[in-house]
Amino acid sequence: MDDDVDAQDTPAEVDATFRTLRRVGVGYFVVFLVAVIGFPALSLTLDWWSESRVLGGMSPGFLLAALGLYVFFAVLGVAAARLSTAVEARMLGGTADEPDDAHDDATGHLPGRGPGTSPDHGPSHAPSSAPGRAPSVAPSHGPGARPGRRAHL
Amino acid sequence: MSSPELVVLGAVLALVAAVAVLARPRGASTVEFYLAGRGVGTATNAWAICGDYLSAASFLGVAAAVYVSGVDGAWYAVGFAAGFVPVLLFVAAPLRRFGEFSIPDFLGRRLGSERVRLVAVGVVQLVILCYLVPQAVGSGITWELLVGSGVAGLDPYTSGVLISTAVVALLVAFGGMRGTTWTQAVQFLLILGALVWLAATVVAEGFQYGSAVQGLSAEPLANPSAGPDGTSLVTGQNQVRPTEPASFGEPGTRYGGLGQFALVVTLALGTAGLPHVMNRYFTSPTGTAARTTTAWVLCLAGAFYALAVMLGTAARQLLPGAVDDHPWLAELTVDGILVVPEHALPVLGRLYGGEAGLGVIAAGALVAVMSTVAGLLLASAASFGHDVYERHINPRATQRQAVLAGRLTTLVVACLAAVLALALQPASFSAAMPSVVATMVTWAFAVAGSALTPVFVLTIWWRGTTATGAVAGMTTGVVVATAVFVAGALADGGLLREVMVTPTLLAAPAAAAVAVGVSRRTRPPRDVEASWVRMHGTAADRRAERLARLTLDDARGPQGRGVHRARR
Repeated sequence: MDDDVDAQDTPAEVDATFRTLRRVGVGYFVVFLVAVIGFPALSLTLDWWSESRVLGGMSPGFLLAALGLYVFFAVLGVAAARLSTAVEARMLGGTADEPDDAHDDATGHLPGRGPGTSPDHGPSHAPSSAPGRAPSVAPSHGPGARPGRRAHL
Repeated sequence: MSSPELVVLGAVLALVAAVAVLARPRGASTVEFYLAGRGVGTATNAWAICGDYLSAASFLGVAAAVYVSGVDGAWYAVGFAAGFVPVLLFVAAPLRRFGEFSIPDFLGRRLGSERVRLVAVGVVQLVILCYLVPQAVGSGITWELLVGSGVAGLDPYTSGVLISTAVVALLVAFGGMRGTTWTQAVQFLLILGALVWLAATVVAEGFQYGSAVQGLSAEPLANPSAGPDGTSLVTGQNQVRPTEPASFGEPGTRYGGLGQFALVVTLALGTAGLPHVMNRYFTSPTGTAARTTTAWVLCLAGAFYALAVMLGTAARQLLPGAVDDHPWLAELTVDGILVVPEHALPVLGRLYGGEAGLGVIAAGALVAVMSTVAGLLLASAASFGHDVYERHINPRATQRQAVLAGRLTTLVVACLAAVLALALQPASFSAAMPSVVATMVTWAFAVAGSALTPVFVLTIWWRGTTATGAVAGMTTGVVVATAVFVAGALADGGLLREVMVTPTLLAAPAAAAVAVGVSRRTRPPRDVEASWVRMHGTAADRRAERLARLTLDDARGPQGRGVHRARR
């Protein structure tokens, strides 16, 4: 498939995607960490958390350890997977089966072409080591998201 | 053993064996034997990962930990389930995109160093052995309860360990990754089905979850303890509020202030370093599929653990009232409380489903053990057969020789695990630990999370990681985790001891700091940019997806191709 130009990623595109995904990952991980550390902390600091009864006699602490946290992990995982995949699809090419995303509403450039395919996104080959350089396409919601752009999920 | 139990157990084992035969490797290549041709679909792989991951520690151990420790035992389940969140966020997709055969292969190629590969093989084999032994212990416990008698003059525990380990070793050696994938997928569906059946049965019989927790929390939590006058119930002390007795629904039955954090961090970080789980990601067709698979796993594992916690609670509430009507329970209990907490689910199954119910749960437990042992043996075979034999012992090995080396490794590691399991009879541990199976698995998680996960994440997300840094990080992780654990085991008690016996909270930051510090003083591999494009780019994914679409179109004929063109 060497003749397939869509099947090549440039280092600059990959670097921009890598930085965005790293921000998404760290953002979701912070949320995850707050939950897995915060809820045990509540059970140690608030008597109400372990002693009150909220659902058929279960305390909030027990309810969370028995059911709530698994739902939370699943929702967090599904959201992170969808966002990460959407970021990659937009910044690194995506597939031909995305007719709705054929033209980006905000910039008019084709989705999946990374930084540099539109005049408002700077040079086409940003230096991969540029410290703090923000990627041109970022998720619009979820941890690590940046405002002003719409991620198609 | 009665007829219904035999029928259930025989049917389950026959189903697993049939799947292994039907899904045996297609050709004698290492990609086929270790990676099932890299073509395992998302749902199948998610089921197989669950079968791989949900071991005796999950099936027997979580319910046992809840049974004996109440809400503190539920933190085992939380930690096991939480482990796949870091995997999804940081590991699954890049790991698959880089490719390779095993964790040592990935680290060795990414960092361009055979030294890294060999050190990683040592750590991986250590983790596998730490994980394999409790699985074999679990199979011995289950056999003891289910069959109650040994074969060829052996005691029941020994018979269970030897027979289950031998059966799995043969299935893996014969079926390779393809056969193991399908058997693990079927095995997961069987153990989930067993839990769903038992949960539905106890609820239909009138079990009310909330009321049970409230009732159990109303009185002090007491468990059997061996003393000079025999075994009797002893009320535990609350570790958080030392002046109060332990209570089922409140924290402090097992852990003090820091214990819960240390346990959850140990389990959550350990998952990303488990060789048998990570190896499964190499079988996904693309990185995106690997990530989606992990999202499925989070949903499926969450459902499994929620049921296990509920059934541990149900066993605690229902068994004391059943002793009078079921004399066989008296042999297993002291004042209505089980002496060996791992018996909670099988006993509950027998109570509500008779001999067939016991057969279903015990078969589920054996299947959980077998599926995890299968994954561990295959991971061991991949890291030794591919990373040591093919690259260092016999670099000119033919594909057939390489596969044979993998099969022999499987058998040798299985024998070693069985011998160690026989040396560690569970009765000697149960007085000191709430669930020997879950505790032993926690130790495996600690080594994986301390030595492999920090290096793994740095290698994927930091260009500056070097071979020397990775070796230093892995060595530090193993040494610090072991030293802290031993020191904690010898300590008198208190908050520090709780952290030390689940040492990842201390050992993982130490390993990461050493890896970063040493890497900064050494030079990264020259081809790091090429590795970055391969690991974080999606070109290979898109090629694979396009190839799959073309294949599908061809299979559908002209009409299918027309539909695809119209979409474009």
